[in-house]
Amino acid sequence: MNAPFVMPALGPILPELVLAVGALVLVLIGALRGEKSYGLVNGLAFVVLALAAAALVAQPAGKVLVFGDSFSVDGFARIMKAIALLGSAVALVLSVDYLRRENLTRFEYPILIVLATLGMMMMISANDLIALYLGLELQSLAAYVIAAIHRDNVRSSEAGLKYFVLGALSSGMLLYGSSLVYGFAGTVSFPGIAAALQGQSSLGVILGLVFVSAGLAFKISAVPFHMWTPDVYEGAPTPVAAFFAAAPKVAAMAMTVRIFIVAFPGIVGDWRQIVVFISIASMALGAFAAIGQRNIKRLMAYSSIGHVGFALVGLAAGTAQGVNGVIVYMAIYVVMTLGTFAIILGMRRGDTYVETIDDLAGLSRSQPFMAYAFGAILFSLTGIPPLAGFFAKFYVFAAAIEAKLFALAVIGVVTSVVSAYYYLRIVKIMFFDEPAQSFSPLTPALKTVIAVSTIAIALFWLAPAPLVSAANAAARSLF
Amino acid sequence: MAIGLTHYLVVAAILFTLGVLGIFINRKNVIVIMMSIELILLAVNINLVAFSTHLNDITGQVFALLVLTVAAAEAAIGLAILVVYFRNRGTIAVDDINMMKG
Amino acid sequence: MTQTLPNLLNDYLPLGIFIAVSGVIGLALLIAPFAVAFKSPDPEKLSAYECGFNAFDDARMKFDVRFYLVAILFIIFDLEVAFLFPWAVAYGDLGWAGFWSMMVFLGVLTIGFVYEWKKGALEWD
Repeated sequence: MNAPFVMPALGPILPELVLAVGALVLVLIGALRGEKSYGLVNGLAFVVLALAAAALVAQPAGKVLVFGDSFSVDGFARIMKAIALLGSAVALVLSVDYLRRENLTRFEYPILIVLATLGMMMMISANDLIALYLGLELQSLAAYVIAAIHRDNVRSSEAGLKYFVLGALSSGMLLYGSSLVYGFAGTVSFPGIAAALQGQSSLGVILGLVFVSAGLAFKISAVPFHMWTPDVYEGAPTPVAAFFAAAPKVAAMAMTVRIFIVAFPGIVGDWRQIVVFISIASMALGAFAAIGQRNIKRLMAYSSIGHVGFALVGLAAGTAQGVNGVIVYMAIYVVMTLGTFAIILGMRRGDTYVETIDDLAGLSRSQPFMAYAFGAILFSLTGIPPLAGFFAKFYVFAAAIEAKLFALAVIGVVTSVVSAYYYLRIVKIMFFDEPAQSFSPLTPALKTVIAVSTIAIALFWLAPAPLVSAANAAARSLF
Repeated sequence: MAIGLTHYLVVAAILFTLGVLGIFINRKNVIVIMMSIELILLAVNINLVAFSTHLNDITGQVFALLVLTVAAAEAAIGLAILVVYFRNRGTIAVDDINMMKG
Repeated sequence: MTQTLPNLLNDYLPLGIFIAVSGVIGLALLIAPFAVAFKSPDPEKLSAYECGFNAFDDARMKFDVRFYLVAILFIIFDLEVAFLFPWAVAYGDLGWAGFWSMMVFLGVLTIGFVYEWKKGALEWD
């Protein structure tokens, strides 16, 4: 006779509950009020995200395991969830004006963003393979639909199709790996797997780990599973690309960190080789493949591949310091990415959005605010002190050196120098080229996002302590 | 000869390989890719159920049930996106999915 | 584990009866029309039925895309119901918490159903 089924404690999952119930209510509102309800649903989606954030902030510190230990609410989960919620909310802010101009005001869009956010929070907290798979699929399925949201546009539907096929393949690989890990470790729970691997590692588990890593690499768009990223970023509507580049990456990175650190601490030597390889390959591809790009969204896709590589340097270290670096890196990366996409959304003449780099020519004369803000963000993406991007790279490289991964750190610095070439080329085009036709004025929402992210990046060196110490405490909650 | 865990794992591995090859070798039709994806998930389910029986642990079967239902949702969304794509391009040949490159 | 063979076969007796009964019913339905049905074909009887296909036609033809929609909607609700089976089997052990958990799940499915209904996905035209 099994133990009777008792209701699990719901307090620790309050933020997720708010998102889930909120999404359902929004679906009902949208379904009952018809196609005209985009404005209402969109506004309520912000309320839902804000309530979830409030519930997240109100959570007491400390580590709680719920649902038979499959869901872990700890410091690491809280900080990553906060970053993910911020990313989703800002991506939603960026979308409003674009969707209105492109006639895409379907009430499903904000609902799908809320559902994807729910999936991300599940991924971040997942403490066993089943919870991880469910969270991942909730996020991915919503993302496939959002990528193809522009139904009458060939490029958008092609982006959705490519994303779906490759995403489903990677989910399959991750699952096959999970099934092997489950079989050879005898459990799906991360701490359980770690306990089962104590002292010895079986070939079956290593094989499973390789497949799981392949699936994870796809979700964070790391080489060699990055091929979908440029096409999806280019094809999907720009605010959708902004969403994909920010929050889901944070969640997937959090999930990757948790599975490697919590479930496989006993075989660091085995997975470190994989992570180091993925990291070097991503940094190199991000640096070299972006050089020839004309489309700024495509360029940002390659740039994001490179940045994932840099963040993985911290994971390769496999220490609390390394995880600290990953958290700081992802937080700063999200701010820089959202700022960049706000500027890309500002590249608009009348009702036409343009997206080639040459359209930015001479921006410093027509729109100095936009040009200087973008310049600061680009310098930060390169990693030039004293901007925030420098600190992001500093923490991960310091962790790598501490873990005696000198070659990795050196390659990281070299690729960051190479990437400076294409970032600074944009700066040169904006400031020294003959002006192209000027853009329409920025909307207040875009202006605010650009200003806030630029100020955050530029003044991070004044007060890095809050983020770094919070990340430090969060990283230690995993060990 | 008794049928043991290894046999199930080999069958699953063969199905998984067929599924992955089906995605990469197939140059004709996206529907076939969707079928290959289902084949991969089928291989996973065989693995899970075989391990579940072998370990005498119910978790694997619970996992298999969840994979089954999520796979249905995935297939539905995939088909829906495919229909949207077909309406735009009028073809679902794999070689024609090439609007963006680089 | 020490069952003798006749005992083992006894366990399958209901299955045998089931197969026999279904065989009888199937054959009866096949044979009965020859005995009792009127044989007077008219155009209405021979025209397309059920799914709008001609009764005798090439099987490898293009389907109306709306069949996909119906199939997609069907497959989701069909498979989510798979969760009801283990729930029903374990029902005695679950208590109220288990009961309400499933009711919440069905509620979520219902909201999905309301959505597809209101979107007009269930209308053929």
